[in-house]
Amino acid sequence: MAMGPMITAAAVLAVLNVVLLLPLVGIWVRNYATFRTGLVAGLLAFAVAMLVENAVAVYFFFSMQSFYAGDPHVQQAVLILRSLQFVAIVGLSYTTLR
Amino acid sequence: MEKALWYLLTATRGGANRARIIDALSERPMNANELADRLDVGYKTIRHHMEQLEKHDIVESGDEDYAKLYFLTDRFDNYRDTFEEIVEQMDA
Repeated sequence: MAMGPMITAAAVLAVLNVVLLLPLVGIWVRNYATFRTGLVAGLLAFAVAMLVENAVAVYFFFSMQSFYAGDPHVQQAVLILRSLQFVAIVGLSYTTLR
Repeated sequence: MEKALWYLLTATRGGANRARIIDALSERPMNANELADRLDVGYKTIRHHMEQLEKHDIVESGDEDYAKLYFLTDRFDNYRDTFEEIVEQMDA
């Protein structure tokens, strides 16, 4: 079964989240090596958790599409949650790269 | 100021260089060119960092357009302990 447009969009957002989180993890690994502060350790743990979560989500989008295919409300909810996460990660990237 | 220092120095991409800039300015006021030479960082990068540091009231600059000197603010001096705590781990 082909993926619906909403689920395709959600999968694309999850991939973009992964792409954005990789440099953030890189920056915070480097900064942790320099500063060893709890703040950076926390940010790093947060980014790694988000990275894993999005990677798992991408896997699920492709392996369990029939699970999502049934209900358009589920698809919509998944897309909204992915979008919100994307906005949050873009904001975090912006402040971190300044 | 305290939280701004933590985020600006330890969480951002340019944080380590900004900490080195503050360290250099603790010795004496310098202009962007001197800072660039001293830290071996590009002039434009230094100007960007100075903009951020000025925005957060950590440094202030003289009025001249040419080679204006940057000073640490009195407000920053009140938080020097926080700064020392942050850079404790940094070598040299």
